[in-house]
Amino acid sequence: MPPVNNLKDDKPKWVGQSLGRVGAEDRVTGRQKYAADLRIDNALQVKFVTVDCARARIIAIHTEAAAAVEGVRCILTSADLPQPVPKCGPAYDDRPVIAVGETRFHGEPVVVVAAETEDAAELAASLVRIEYEELPPVLTVEAALDPGSPLVQDHLQSNVLTENHFGWGDVDSAQAHCIVENDYTFPMVTHFAIEPHAFIAAPDPDGITIWSPIQHPYVLRRVVATALGWPVARVRIIAPDPGGGFGGKGWPKVEPLLAFLALRVGRPVRLVMSLEETFQAVRRASAKVHARTGFDADGRIVFQDLEANFLLGAYADIGPRVVSKASYSACGPYRAPHARVVSRALLSHTTPSTAFRGFGTPQASWAVESQLNEAAARLGLDRVEIRRRNVPAKGEEFIPNENGADGNWIESLEKAAAAVAWDVPLAPNRGRGISLGLKSSSTASASFALVRLHHDGSASVLSGTSDMGQGARTVFTQIVADELAIEPDQIVVVMGDTSVVPFDSSTSASRSTVFMGNAIIAACKHVQEQVAAIALEVGAGAEVPYEELLRAYYGSARGEVIGLGSARSAYVPGHPLGGKSAFWEMMAAAAEVEVDPETGMVDIRKLVLVSDVGKALNPMQVETQDEGSAVMGLGHTLMEQLLLDSHGRIRNLGALDYRIPTIEDIPAELHSFLIENEDGPGPSGAKGAGEGGLLSIAAAVGSAINQAVGVAIRDLPLTPERIWQAIQDRQT
Amino acid sequence: MQPFAYFRPESRGEVFAALREFAPDVRILAGGTDLMVRLRSGRFRPNAVVDVKRVSGWSSQIVETEGVLRVGAGVTMTDLVSAPSVQQHFPALVEAASVVGSVQIRNRATLAGNICNASPAADTAPPLLVYGAVVNVASRAGERQIPLSEFFLGPGRTALAAGELVESIDLPIPVEAAGSAFQRITRRRGVDLATANLSCSVNRAGEVRMAFGAAAPIPLLVTGTAASLEEMTAQARPISDVRGGAAYRQAMLLVMARRALEVSLGRLRQ
Repeated sequence: MPPVNNLKDDKPKWVGQSLGRVGAEDRVTGRQKYAADLRIDNALQVKFVTVDCARARIIAIHTEAAAAVEGVRCILTSADLPQPVPKCGPAYDDRPVIAVGETRFHGEPVVVVAAETEDAAELAASLVRIEYEELPPVLTVEAALDPGSPLVQDHLQSNVLTENHFGWGDVDSAQAHCIVENDYTFPMVTHFAIEPHAFIAAPDPDGITIWSPIQHPYVLRRVVATALGWPVARVRIIAPDPGGGFGGKGWPKVEPLLAFLALRVGRPVRLVMSLEETFQAVRRASAKVHARTGFDADGRIVFQDLEANFLLGAYADIGPRVVSKASYSACGPYRAPHARVVSRALLSHTTPSTAFRGFGTPQASWAVESQLNEAAARLGLDRVEIRRRNVPAKGEEFIPNENGADGNWIESLEKAAAAVAWDVPLAPNRGRGISLGLKSSSTASASFALVRLHHDGSASVLSGTSDMGQGARTVFTQIVADELAIEPDQIVVVMGDTSVVPFDSSTSASRSTVFMGNAIIAACKHVQEQVAAIALEVGAGAEVPYEELLRAYYGSARGEVIGLGSARSAYVPGHPLGGKSAFWEMMAAAAEVEVDPETGMVDIRKLVLVSDVGKALNPMQVETQDEGSAVMGLGHTLMEQLLLDSHGRIRNLGALDYRIPTIEDIPAELHSFLIENEDGPGPSGAKGAGEGGLLSIAAAVGSAINQAVGVAIRDLPLTPERIWQAIQDRQT
Repeated sequence: MQPFAYFRPESRGEVFAALREFAPDVRILAGGTDLMVRLRSGRFRPNAVVDVKRVSGWSSQIVETEGVLRVGAGVTMTDLVSAPSVQQHFPALVEAASVVGSVQIRNRATLAGNICNASPAADTAPPLLVYGAVVNVASRAGERQIPLSEFFLGPGRTALAAGELVESIDLPIPVEAAGSAFQRITRRRGVDLATANLSCSVNRAGEVRMAFGAAAPIPLLVTGTAASLEEMTAQARPISDVRGGAAYRQAMLLVMARRALEVSLGRLRQ
């Protein structure tokens, strides 16, 4: 490598370039070590034992036969844990680390087996006999709202865990020319990360170390420490880069149980969940949204009256936050002079729902965007035009006392319409649809970063962000390369070890580029300040390479310069979300589809995405994030849904009958465009990105199908059978 | 996965001995694409698995003899669809075998395995029925032939007796001109199991042979004419499950029947 120098250009050299993904080759060749690839000496293999229904009273547990299996070292039940059995969770401490007396969802661990081999653990688990009495479960929004239903958590007064009331103006006295009123449903869907959820817990002299592909290592450290009743300093989290997270790997689930097991056996314990077990561990909240939207004769929104019921699972997880955050901005990127949003987080005897890309917004967006399409039809307006009339101008406040529109959002709308050739006549059985999606960003969070400029002029970046495929390592490398004026191959980004990297709130809400990015810039500036002071002290000019400068300063014993930086989104007491949205993630999507009216099969001929990202630090990564996100959105739009039987068991448990899009299901044409006005709060004016792609896919595709074959379906997914049925119903 | 004994015999005699010794809790491993899934899920818990791929004389060949195309039990879907003789005489079978699983699955999965698995939704079953396939079976007691139309007894159940092994499948080469085609309905465009599938053939006399899958407990063969598609498909007895409702399946059979017949007539004219 040529010698480094510390002359920072005014114009970024690396930021804004499509630098190849750091670690991409390892990921695609199988060289990357994911959590399940790690081999820890002396580890026992773990298998959970569950009962064959959602809700059951546990009568007795018989473990004799299982204990006799060769290699079995521990069979643990709730009786073996501290009493009362600790409860924990990211938001509420409501989830016992193992089922106590009663199960609340199908797949909840009742017994844990640890054995020398996976086969022995599995065989022993199959020999554990649990006597239980099945109890009637609560499985739907309607049942959860029914005061006569059994309580999911019996210390509560109802299954309504939280209820939010947002709004402004006076909906009841607002006068509208046209009122559109409908119910919309959004299915339970699961994240389906390709990397399995895998965990290792190992006692060590300082306390305990947990390996987990967790997105938020510092949240996991807190939750495990709380469960154990230990100071956080005694808990070390090692988080190998996840192979896809999407929110499903965000929040702790089974790690506290594994921590207790490891401490009990005094050895490392390892669990790799199957895909089927993962389906039973993570999902998106399903939702039913009742929407009443008033318009004036020109198509301007007069009021939004929304009631959104989100069906969470048996425990809160991060669900109440999903509900409040999504419903807070549920009216979308539109002016609404009057608004009333009532949203509820409902408990049920199902897999606890958790964060999932979009964080509740796709559920609300499906309703609100579809309402606009119906209003356009009733008012004789074009679906682009009705949006044009309602989108706030840049800087305009659209939620009272909240940060206003932070971009020229009309530009995204027009770009999407043009890119899908909105005004070109359609062939038979074809239709087009367009919609916007808006998601609030991270509120009240903090990121810290350390940048170590080593004696030879190379640098290490220490960051608590997890690179789960979104490319954080690459973007951070680009930022540091520009800030320290060194080559990318002189930079290593260190992540995922709480004993090494400083605190970070989370890798969520598309926040890392903005907040960790700003923290890293601050750390680089801190380095540069120290370098300048050193240069002054040794009498060197700014053109002297780092290596020479540090040699002159530290001598042959060597030393380094360490920069600390931080960034936070302010905590605002009294704000419904704890703080204002630092930026808005705004996306326009437009689709052209062809529908086979005899079979209901949908062929997405064209899908275009326009994302207002402020500045793309790495355009290729942003575009591919949006495209991946949009394809994920096509999943819940067209095919994905977890189907439950009356016992609360998932009927389509596994990859055979839970359908996600394959490469053959992606649109014939898929284009993503970026709007870059450098108007975001992040590095170089960046906003967060990566979730936007899926926010409004369903409404765009749904509207296109409507135009193609004349049916309006308000329940996702829009399966071929559902479309066919709607066509039959219309004909009769 | 439950522990089980694993054998990889090199002679038929050893296969038959193992089948007899462990009957009925024994499974045969050829491609393994259905077996492995069920071993892992615990749906199959055999005492023994007999891997037949190294058996002397085990055929992975497609051989034409006396008006019959004999497809060895080791022939994979990939082999099948790339064989010129199959492409020439049995286009619907090529269409069906081309959509079984993914490329990786088709490189392992065998035609014989697809029928022995006896899924009501097996994609190759309808064209094999339409083409009048015959299953060649061997056991310690000797060899016999089972017409495919008598082979399926129910989901996962076949006419194979304990100790019997499928050695090949015979496809009679059509003597009269006919056109044939395969259609299926899936929930997505990529790799999927059929919500329903259908194959048909038509000759110059207008006689139609049609078979459909995922529409009854077994793949069903029916006959009629171009004018009786509704009556033919009405013989289906579809159920509602996670892949589709009964009414949708029933309706799709007729849609597929019309489309398959149209393609078949086009091929007949060629």
